[in-house]
Amino acid sequence: MSMALLSSPQSHFPTVNSLSKTHLTPKPTLSLRPKRHFLLLSTRVSDNGSGVVVVEDDNKEVVEEPAAIAAVVESEEKVESSDDSLETNGSPAMAAGAPVEVLVGKYENPKWVGGTWDLKQFQKDGTTDWDAVIDAEVKRRKWLEDNPESSNNDFPVVFDTSIVPWWAWVKRFHLPEAELLNGRAAMVGFFMAYFVDSLTGVGLVDQMGNFFCKTLLFVAVAGVLLIRKNEDIDNLKKLIDETTFYDKQWQATWQDENSSSSKKDF
Amino acid sequence: MATSIALKTFTGLRQSSPETTVISHRPTTLTYRPLRISAGKFSPKVTGRNLRVAVIGGGPAGGAAAETLAKGGIETFLIERKMDNCKPCGGAIPLCMVGEFDLPLDIIDRRVTKMKMISPSNVAVDIGQTLKPHEYIGMVRREVLDDYLRTRASDSGASVINGLFLKMDKPVDKTAPYVLHYTKYDGKTGASGKRETLEVDAVIGADGANSRVAKSIGAGDYEYAIAFQERIKIPDEKMRYYEDLAEMYVGDDVSPDFYGWVFPKCDHVAVGTGTVTHKGDIKKFQLATRLRAKDKILGGKIIRVEAHPIPEHPRPKRLADRVALVGDAAGYVTKCSGEGIYFAAKSGRMCAEAIVEGSEKGKRMIDEGDLRKYLEKWDKAYWPTYKVLDVLQKVFYRSNPAREAFVEMCADEYVQKMTFDSYLYKKVAPGNPLEDIKLAVNTIGSLVRANALRREMDKISV
Repeated sequence: MSMALLSSPQSHFPTVNSLSKTHLTPKPTLSLRPKRHFLLLSTRVSDNGSGVVVVEDDNKEVVEEPAAIAAVVESEEKVESSDDSLETNGSPAMAAGAPVEVLVGKYENPKWVGGTWDLKQFQKDGTTDWDAVIDAEVKRRKWLEDNPESSNNDFPVVFDTSIVPWWAWVKRFHLPEAELLNGRAAMVGFFMAYFVDSLTGVGLVDQMGNFFCKTLLFVAVAGVLLIRKNEDIDNLKKLIDETTFYDKQWQATWQDENSSSSKKDF
Repeated sequence: MATSIALKTFTGLRQSSPETTVISHRPTTLTYRPLRISAGKFSPKVTGRNLRVAVIGGGPAGGAAAETLAKGGIETFLIERKMDNCKPCGGAIPLCMVGEFDLPLDIIDRRVTKMKMISPSNVAVDIGQTLKPHEYIGMVRREVLDDYLRTRASDSGASVINGLFLKMDKPVDKTAPYVLHYTKYDGKTGASGKRETLEVDAVIGADGANSRVAKSIGAGDYEYAIAFQERIKIPDEKMRYYEDLAEMYVGDDVSPDFYGWVFPKCDHVAVGTGTVTHKGDIKKFQLATRLRAKDKILGGKIIRVEAHPIPEHPRPKRLADRVALVGDAAGYVTKCSGEGIYFAAKSGRMCAEAIVEGSEKGKRMIDEGDLRKYLEKWDKAYWPTYKVLDVLQKVFYRSNPAREAFVEMCADEYVQKMTFDSYLYKKVAPGNPLEDIKLAVNTIGSLVRANALRREMDKISV
């Protein structure tokens, strides 16, 4: 049921999310407007713990927001006309609620107290429900990524991911992947052991004593660990290049000198 | 973790792809010029006059170089095109620079003793509690600093010329002079200046990121970041918050590969950001930086907008014959923090010292070998610093999870102490091995947690 509720806020932001993708394309003139659009839309969006997003929009914002920004910037070009056209795109999708006070939308959540998660509100059966804390933090970060907020000294954020104990992370993230990788290794290992046995007649115990087989085992384990998606092969190659790239740039000036000076390779 | 930094093949001067560049101690057949490395001791004496050296560019690098040359008995010419140039710059100098360059304390506008790092999800971490009472980061106005260094150079005997360097004629043999062509301004505004020439025996190129000296020796290009900055005058009560505090904002919204900042200046703040890979979006990043700092700069008025290029790595060639590059012209800006003033001044001084030594205080002609000594000394002294900062940038500026981990790590006292020690004294401090291991474990933990959260974030957006 929470998934259905989660999917509804997404439908409220179809224009928002597609616009957010344009951030990375080099279109400087267009990109200014979607940013304004966020500010206009992200009025009081409050997120209560169950994942329902309530949006209250106010057409008054169109006038209020630019004024607030103009207070910061006096030499900015006025893009209100374009704001209006974007606003009409957005408002049918929004639940137009009661007029709201002039506030840029901030992340609000009853469980987010004093700049961090109030663990007392995450109790389940007497102990803290760490999975719920992780979920809440994920939603908060996602929200802030799509709607960056000003950092405020009166409401500092002091959350640190290390308050969630290590075993909660292991249980949730490491174990499923470990299961996957061990499964892959087991499948590869079983098949290779059978294949080698059928070709050479060497049984599993004797295979383990052979140096070549041990090397193959090492390669198989390393492969399963490092290469989990097809793109990983390219990523690894790029990473290796990256680590030595800067060194090469620094040594470039020494390329035209031959062996007379030593100790150049750092 | 996908590598988000696009790798451009490094087309340096040699046009060799990274796979074929050789480690220099192997005897190489890639020499493109006949090699003539001979120690200055065997160079002919310069008769009847002292060695003449021109320093092109009168910023921190040029000023420091000219002063050291003049004090070493060399006939020095410092050519600067705009004496009152108000350079767009962060303006931060480390503590060691004040001592090493004998800077008077009154050119420092502010002493920053606190910094705030703000993550993409607005987790704010204060750093600076480990600073001792006498330690600070100095904020200076570039025009004040540059002018002070130039004046000191001229007091030591250098001739400061107001002119714009145009080009130089290479010498015909080992002892012939370089002929510099420049436009001399005689101080009257609006005058177009007249063409003049100057004959010198060696040239130090300290003319900044768009160095003409570098172009004339074919030094090659570097990748550069665009730093965009707005100077904003904010109300007094808000200015009090920034009295001795600087802020760093990290996040994809603020910059994909750098950071946004709010640095306090003499009576206003400088709010800016920078990027290498998405230069076209710089205005968008600036808006995002302003948004993140909005509550603290509300009511401010923009008084100046400026931008400048920052080199990302040294040029492929930093010297040729008797011409050497220093400072931004050579590309000595660190990664991660983008710091350049101290390294500019220090490299200017080191190069000048190498010339003074190689010419035995101006009595002998120098050659490329003497200048190579400066490069050797420089690389040996500062390579670890540059490399560590490069690694930090690659690890922590990659993506939002990495930045979240970065800010989390900054909360650790050991990290703060190591960071400030390295920054203020420009030595990569060795530190305590046990603490280092703990730090490594914590870093990996932070990165893993932040990336795990990121993957969950991707799941709910689908």
